[in-house]
Amino acid sequence: MTVIQIKNVSRWYGNVVAVNDITMDIGPGVTGLLGPNGAGKSTILHMIAGFLAPSRGTLTVHPALGEPVPTWRNPDIYRNLGLVPERDSVYAFLTGEEFVRSTAKLHRLGNPGAAVSKAIAMTDMGQAADRRIATYSKGMRQRIKVAAALVHDPEILLLDEPFNGMDPRQRIHMMELLAKLGAEGRTILFSSHILEEVERLSGTIQVMVAGRLAASGDFRAIRRLMTSRPHVFNVRSSDDRTLAALLVGRPWTTAVELTAKGLQVRTSDFGAFCAQIAVLTRDHKIALRELLPTDESLESVFGYLISSQGS
Amino acid sequence: MTPSTGSGVTPIADAAPGAPAPAVIEATALTKVYPGGVTALGGLTVTFAPGVTGLIGANGAGKSTLIKILLGLVEPSAGTASVLGHDSVAGGGRIRQVVGYMPEHDCLPPDVSATEFVTHMGRMSGLPATAARERAAEALRHVGLHEERYRQIGTYSTGMKQRVKLAQALAGDPRLLLLDEPTNGLDPAGRNAMLELIERIGVEFGISIVVASHLLGEIERICDRLVAIEGGRLLRADTIDSFTRASQTLLIEVEEGLAALADELVRRGLRPAAYQRSLLVPIGGDATYDTVRDAVADLGLPLSRMEQRRHQVEELFRDSGPAGPDAARLGAPGAAANPEAADAR
Amino acid sequence: MPADLSVPSTGGPSVIHDLGYRRYDGPRLGRAQIIRALAWHSFRAAFGLGRGAKAKIVPLVALVALCLPAAISAFAMSRGNARLVDYDTYTPALRDLVMTVFVAVQAPELVSRDLRSRVLPLYFARPINTIDYPLAKYLAFTGACLVMIEGPLLLLYGGSIANVHGGSAVWAQTRALIPGLLVGLMWAVVLAAISLFLASATGRRAFATGAVAIFLLLTFTLSEILLQVEGQNQGPQAAAVNGGPPPPGATVHVQQLVYVPSLAEKISGLFSPFTLFDGVRMWLGGTDMADGVYNPGGFGAVYALVLVVLTALCLYGLAARYRKARLS
Repeated sequence: MTVIQIKNVSRWYGNVVAVNDITMDIGPGVTGLLGPNGAGKSTILHMIAGFLAPSRGTLTVHPALGEPVPTWRNPDIYRNLGLVPERDSVYAFLTGEEFVRSTAKLHRLGNPGAAVSKAIAMTDMGQAADRRIATYSKGMRQRIKVAAALVHDPEILLLDEPFNGMDPRQRIHMMELLAKLGAEGRTILFSSHILEEVERLSGTIQVMVAGRLAASGDFRAIRRLMTSRPHVFNVRSSDDRTLAALLVGRPWTTAVELTAKGLQVRTSDFGAFCAQIAVLTRDHKIALRELLPTDESLESVFGYLISSQGS
Repeated sequence: MTPSTGSGVTPIADAAPGAPAPAVIEATALTKVYPGGVTALGGLTVTFAPGVTGLIGANGAGKSTLIKILLGLVEPSAGTASVLGHDSVAGGGRIRQVVGYMPEHDCLPPDVSATEFVTHMGRMSGLPATAARERAAEALRHVGLHEERYRQIGTYSTGMKQRVKLAQALAGDPRLLLLDEPTNGLDPAGRNAMLELIERIGVEFGISIVVASHLLGEIERICDRLVAIEGGRLLRADTIDSFTRASQTLLIEVEEGLAALADELVRRGLRPAAYQRSLLVPIGGDATYDTVRDAVADLGLPLSRMEQRRHQVEELFRDSGPAGPDAARLGAPGAAANPEAADAR
Repeated sequence: MPADLSVPSTGGPSVIHDLGYRRYDGPRLGRAQIIRALAWHSFRAAFGLGRGAKAKIVPLVALVALCLPAAISAFAMSRGNARLVDYDTYTPALRDLVMTVFVAVQAPELVSRDLRSRVLPLYFARPINTIDYPLAKYLAFTGACLVMIEGPLLLLYGGSIANVHGGSAVWAQTRALIPGLLVGLMWAVVLAAISLFLASATGRRAFATGAVAIFLLLTFTLSEILLQVEGQNQGPQAAAVNGGPPPPGATVHVQQLVYVPSLAEKISGLFSPFTLFDGVRMWLGGTDMADGVYNPGGFGAVYALVLVVLTALCLYGLAARYRKARLS
């Protein structure tokens, strides 16, 4: 079920092409928009939020109720959409509660008090809501911005680099919050260039490189799609050398290395390796202690995408 | 170049065997209250051992106050701190002679070359002119800047600029490096390169390092120890190994047939629990591994992961303890405590 | 069989040299020498040395402009004329203008650049104290201003003694030079303090230049205007002389007309560093000027006091800017 549809969208500023022919569909749950600095993530987010018009292509929002609408010049989308921008866009002289309330009033909510309390409770800002924002730490400011973006109970939440500068505890809180919101069926789209944040949080990722969409989907599935690169596994067993000899004998093994930490095996056929490894060790009475796909981390996948531009 | 016998410098912790290694930084009840009532540090007591130590959690006021105190630039309101044996108040100048500092933010002039700049900074550290030139050249080589060093810094990428910052900290031959978010602004490849460099410095050059970062993955990767600060106080200080000790749970992933595997394991007497797209099995000895292996082989399932779960540094920052079978899982209920009440400013 | 060309010609075993990290066991210089190194570095920056060619334009043109009167005077003296300019006043209008330009453009090079690039934390993390930074900058810039002012004077001196003969003539030149050098010292010490203080307010060099230039020009204009206004208010009293007209029949001596300014006119000169310089100079016995500030006589002590206080305030302000060791 697509909630945000982006079709052949490009955006340029003179000669600079910030976003180059991007097509993606974003559904409910948490999606991470990933890419190095300058890849165009902020631009895409701002276009989805209706702040920027695409130079070409269309961005439409498909709300649960109602017709699909393009995002540009359509204030109605804000009923269903909340944006948490990267910049520090809060009025420091207001208290947290006042800030969220002012946003509630801008949305012309029927019962602003209840909505404000709910949003503040959701972001765990109850204790600090009566203090002026100027006294907040960076993480607290982020959270109050999220509260303001949630006050009208939107279906879609867009966050631009939400974890910037947060310390681990704040980050965990924010991740838990976003995961919860995603599990409720909302559509959460957040951008980041810190992979370990994205890896923990989102199932689906969209990777942007230099304005183009390099890959979409689950990052492990993406890795499996990179068939030209051998997969790398770390294996520890009770008899590494024998296992190494056995593995070398198999056609799907391209390289085996004996290291202090065990075997490092490169295989050209992920499926074949997985299917055979348990059988192989059992039949030769080798105890298997550890089997780890080492380059399935988001970092490796990302590195491959960047360097090879998608192989 | 004259040949030498060893591979460089002996690490600092080479005291008599059995003797505890001398602390690199010691803070005792360190407190700093700014006019206006903001408490940046509220009674911090901690010891940093030699090696590579990660510093987490002190964000904003706490971290920069701590660094300023350690460099002898600010006096604490109460308590004491000493760096490499020198008191921070009485021996500030001496501390700054043996400590190299790499700030978090941009701090490089754009219109000089790296060579000129690092040489100048070497002279500012008290090196005579020739020594400054030589050590600058060496420092730039060690951080991996080659012909680029003769170009103006304004033309450098973020990664190269971070390396220049590191080089100027190295030029004065420090015994301790304070690195503040050294991978800030770097893309994954650059981050990787910087982390490898820091690791190399810590291991091969024999220089103790304190890395302030909020990326736990990085810290787990290159640090031996960790100091976690929260609300101006010590949360925990320990070795990384103690944080990431193995738990008694085995995680198993198969590409298909997870349910069938779960049933088979139950049949063989194990107690698997579902966890995202894998199974968690309590380890009851070496036999557990073999049972799992045999079950997978008999069913002909493709095994893609089998590992003993380790704890993560991140668990330190979760409000509640681990929920369920020894696993840190997203969505675990958080406690109501809000330690950020003290985290103002 | 071809000869084995791979036999090494020199004896001795092969070796891979260790290019690992080396410690530094050499001497480490103390605070004073670090300050000196920073001052020298900044002194060079004041003349654009160590930067591109563009950075050298203003200092070079300024120095050449200031040297021109000396060169012309030397040339004129070689033709038999007397020295064209005095050592202590030199060419007032030119010097006022050129030095204004020089300090306005170059003071930001010393302090604003570092503020803009936020490099100060790197300095503060070094074995110097926070006061050492502004101290070094001040010493450097005073030195640079000294070069700008004393250089042309020395050139004038050289040109003069090359064209006079006899020990007493040379001595006369030397005696005239010394006060000029002292006046130059006063200029350098004060202008460096004012311009560095103002420039250290901002990291943007254009604003800093503007601030210094505007301050110097405005104050100068203010003094000039006040002098004009007061001068007109005095009116025909401008003819006050020492002693009355000569008694009838007495030999007429050439009397020097000494104009005694009113208090208001004396105060007018207090508002600009350049008029303060002239006031102090004349109080200490320098040559009067044909136009501009009047000889304040005993009131010159107030001029000196104002100058000292102004300099002290600027230096205090400069030090205060760098007192807090901010790490970001």
